[in-house]
Amino acid sequence: MAAEMKQKLARGQKKRTKPFCFSSFFLYLFLGIVTLIQVYPLIWLFLFSFKNNNEIYSGNAMGIPHVWRISNYYSVLTSGNVGIYLINSVIVTGITIVLSTALITTSAYAIVRMRWKASHLFLNYILLGLMVPIHATLLPLFIVLRNLNLLNSYLSLILPYVVFALPMGAFIMVGFMKNIPLELEESACLDGCNVYQTFWHIVFPLVRPAVATVAIFTFLSSWNELMFANTFINNDRLKTLTVGIMSLSGQQGTAWGPIGAGLVIATVPTLLIYLLFSKQLQKSVIAGAIKG
Amino acid sequence: MERLLRDKKAIFLFTFPTFLLFTVIVVLPIFFSIHYSTLEWDGFSQGTFVGLANYKSLFVNNTDGFLQSIINSLILALISVGIQLPISLLLALIIARGVRGENFFRTVYFIPVIISTVVIGQLWMKIYNSDYGMLNTVLRAAGLDQYTKPWLADTHTALAAVFIAMLWQYIGYHMLLMYAGAKSISPDIYEAARIDGASEAQMALHVTIPLMKPILCVCVIFAVTGSFKAFDLIYVMTGGGPLHSTEVPTTLMYTTIFSRYQYGYGSAMAIFIIAECLIFTLVIQKLFHQNAEG
Amino acid sequence: MKTKRLFAGILGLSILMASFTACSGQQPANSAASEKGAASAASADDSAEKITLTFWNNYTNDSNHVMSGIIDKWNADHPNIHIEANSTENNAYKVKIKTAMSANNAPDIIYTWAGGFTQPFVEAGKILPLDEYLNDGTKDKMLSGALTNITYDGKVYGLTYNQQAGALYVNDELFKQNNVKVPTTFDELLTAVKAFKKAGLVPMAVGEKDKWPGMWYYDMIALREGGSQLCLDALNKKVSFDQPAFVNAAQKLEELVDAGAFAEDVLSQTRDESVAQFSQGKIPMYFGGNFDAQVIDQSLEGKVSAVKFPTISDGDGVDTEYLGGGADALCVNANTEHKDEAVQAVKYLAENFSSSMYLTGAGLPEWNYDSIDESKIDPLSKQIMEDIVQGSTGSVPAWDLYLTGNDAQTHQDLVQSLFGKQITPEDFGKQTQSKINKAA
Repeated sequence: MAAEMKQKLARGQKKRTKPFCFSSFFLYLFLGIVTLIQVYPLIWLFLFSFKNNNEIYSGNAMGIPHVWRISNYYSVLTSGNVGIYLINSVIVTGITIVLSTALITTSAYAIVRMRWKASHLFLNYILLGLMVPIHATLLPLFIVLRNLNLLNSYLSLILPYVVFALPMGAFIMVGFMKNIPLELEESACLDGCNVYQTFWHIVFPLVRPAVATVAIFTFLSSWNELMFANTFINNDRLKTLTVGIMSLSGQQGTAWGPIGAGLVIATVPTLLIYLLFSKQLQKSVIAGAIKG
Repeated sequence: MERLLRDKKAIFLFTFPTFLLFTVIVVLPIFFSIHYSTLEWDGFSQGTFVGLANYKSLFVNNTDGFLQSIINSLILALISVGIQLPISLLLALIIARGVRGENFFRTVYFIPVIISTVVIGQLWMKIYNSDYGMLNTVLRAAGLDQYTKPWLADTHTALAAVFIAMLWQYIGYHMLLMYAGAKSISPDIYEAARIDGASEAQMALHVTIPLMKPILCVCVIFAVTGSFKAFDLIYVMTGGGPLHSTEVPTTLMYTTIFSRYQYGYGSAMAIFIIAECLIFTLVIQKLFHQNAEG
Repeated sequence: MKTKRLFAGILGLSILMASFTACSGQQPANSAASEKGAASAASADDSAEKITLTFWNNYTNDSNHVMSGIIDKWNADHPNIHIEANSTENNAYKVKIKTAMSANNAPDIIYTWAGGFTQPFVEAGKILPLDEYLNDGTKDKMLSGALTNITYDGKVYGLTYNQQAGALYVNDELFKQNNVKVPTTFDELLTAVKAFKKAGLVPMAVGEKDKWPGMWYYDMIALREGGSQLCLDALNKKVSFDQPAFVNAAQKLEELVDAGAFAEDVLSQTRDESVAQFSQGKIPMYFGGNFDAQVIDQSLEGKVSAVKFPTISDGDGVDTEYLGGGADALCVNANTEHKDEAVQAVKYLAENFSSSMYLTGAGLPEWNYDSIDESKIDPLSKQIMEDIVQGSTGSVPAWDLYLTGNDAQTHQDLVQSLFGKQITPEDFGKQTQSKINKAA
């Protein structure tokens, strides 16, 4: 029995290693080509940010700029309040991520684990949010926020961002939680944990990969959101970064170079955040593997 | 355990904040929109109640191309599920099975999702430019001059051109979801399969993919509803043109409400989109459910 | 337990709903903002009557600099009437102001486009009529006809400070190099188009992805075909669009398209892109607005002139009529708490915006401009003002400005169909009539 097992194992390993060299060349070639395609927009954006309209609207739309116009960056950094906009964006997206994560994990836990009649109905109710085209909600939402006296405040952005992140987040989270074995929670229960402790100490750490994934998506959608941010905020001190950058374009013609520079500035935090959550995702995946 | 999980107070605490916020921010506006959709209303003056007339004019004697826009969005949904998701799945499986540089590839493949749609739109408009665009330049270099085209200006190619850009941008999005799903499968299961002598392809087909069913269901639903609600990149690249050839329900709704001042009629479009997404989601869920049981 | 929870939920919701219906009535606009402003002012210094006027506009890129200087000056001169301006990017501004108008939450002072854009606001009673405030000599300070486009049903609802005028920009250098005569008639225009086409150039620039640039071409040709009176009558639904002048105009545009006047990817080019190509000296002709002058002057200084659009030999229009008219305007919210102060501010802002926009080449004046140092004015703008606007015998605004939302869109779509050759000139006339002018 043991010998047979060993044999099988050996065979399996053989099978894996033998064609490895040959096929792995093509594998990495393939992965490399895909890498080029996916990285290209970032490089393009970087080059774009040093050009002027004449270059952007001509044969040199793709290549290296003739002149490296650092002035594009200068004009972004000096026009308006980029620093304040950046802080606003960080505040709004930061609170959005924390709030949405809290709501999503607790709701998903209640849906997946807890026993109540309406749990399935509740999930479907939340999923309704996936169906809504946000542009249609602008006026109704404006009226709701006005009546709650929230217009022109951070909350007027945070609340919609959190809520529009819920359906997707809940959906992903529920899918993940279903796959987590119950044993750990059962033993925690035997150890005398109450439901809150079980949730916080057992379940939450286990769903960290999902939390990281959801947080990335939530971050992206709220960081880049324009329509609500344009409409609900009137105070220059409360504007977010993307709004500030897009206001560099004008009624009579748009200088794209400075906008490119602004978008580079806005993209850097996005990349950093993504790398950060990515690391978290990776770590928790490995941690989960060891425990499991 | 049972007792704990039936704790009414805990259930309430866990769900009520979500329920309340969601109801106020999403559901209440939907009811507003349903109300608007029964009005003939420019958004400012007193609206007049017209019952279901707005819905009727979406389909009967329709002149603004709403039906064509639905067909366009259905095509998008179809190729999204049929082409985009398989590519994402392939990438996710390759990376998740532990190639060297796993983190690097995962990070890099996600980049297009991170970059603002404004930039992605500009990039693709340059690629498709008939004069100096990358696509035509490559074709000319390959001696295929007869195939060069003003891709976004030609009503026959614009739709495909826009859709390719959209599919490409979100490959990394679905890949990340699937990657996380694949990663959460216990390594023991792979070990067992490997002991049974399964090849990589067999393992992917018979072990990984079936176990990823929940996340695949999520991806399919996101892809389909995302297609029905797609707006940003189309709006940047073509604005629904040329000559309405790339119009989808959301772009039409946007111009109807904000440029044509037909708030009631535009709201009827919005409600239709919601209903359409809802029906498809239920069907997809049912299909996956049946599959899981059968 | 369960019923109790349900009850609590329903109770919570109904309280919420009640609060909604309670305050959804006609709230005085932005009262919260002005109260806040007033409160903070009161605590800062004790001079009681300090008020804040909110002002939304689309002054983003360069214009922002000029405009905010004027607003700052007002605030310095009027310590008790503070203008709090808020700028939003152009397209986003349109959505924002419509949403706020709809929800009765618009600012005290509103930037707007004269003509069809403002009409629904006026009809819904959301804009303050200004007639009673204008007899203090304000009207005398403005150019004649400056208020035409912002007058609805005989009442003035705002003050314009910038007007548009269409001009044919020609690149003199390219004309000289290729030995082509600058056209004054449509036949000469066709000849010029063919000559440039032969020389391997794209003859005319237009960014038809944005729809309105191509519409400017059609509206201009229609003006030459039918004359200003006929165009205005048709736009006012008094006469039909399905008549020779408008069909012929479509025919003329088709002739240009067929002669290869425009680039092959005209339907996917944006306005910015087409202007950039003209500014790079790649394209010899461009019919556009005076608002393009600044950009063109910056890159092709002295090489470009702005001339009148060619006349059509059998058309009823004359070369002293132009496409354009009062465009940018300031209005006062009908629900504002500070009507007098807001009107006073609007007068000040409009007058000063008018002269500074002319000076910087960003616009053409609507107010008297005698006091402006002529040598400092942007040369192309000056040329347009002197050659095309002054001494004109009539003008028609670009139709998308004149018509309201739906009709404007429909018109733009139909013109785009001409560019895409999806419609015959005859059908163009018929459809314009049946879709826009049902009443006539």
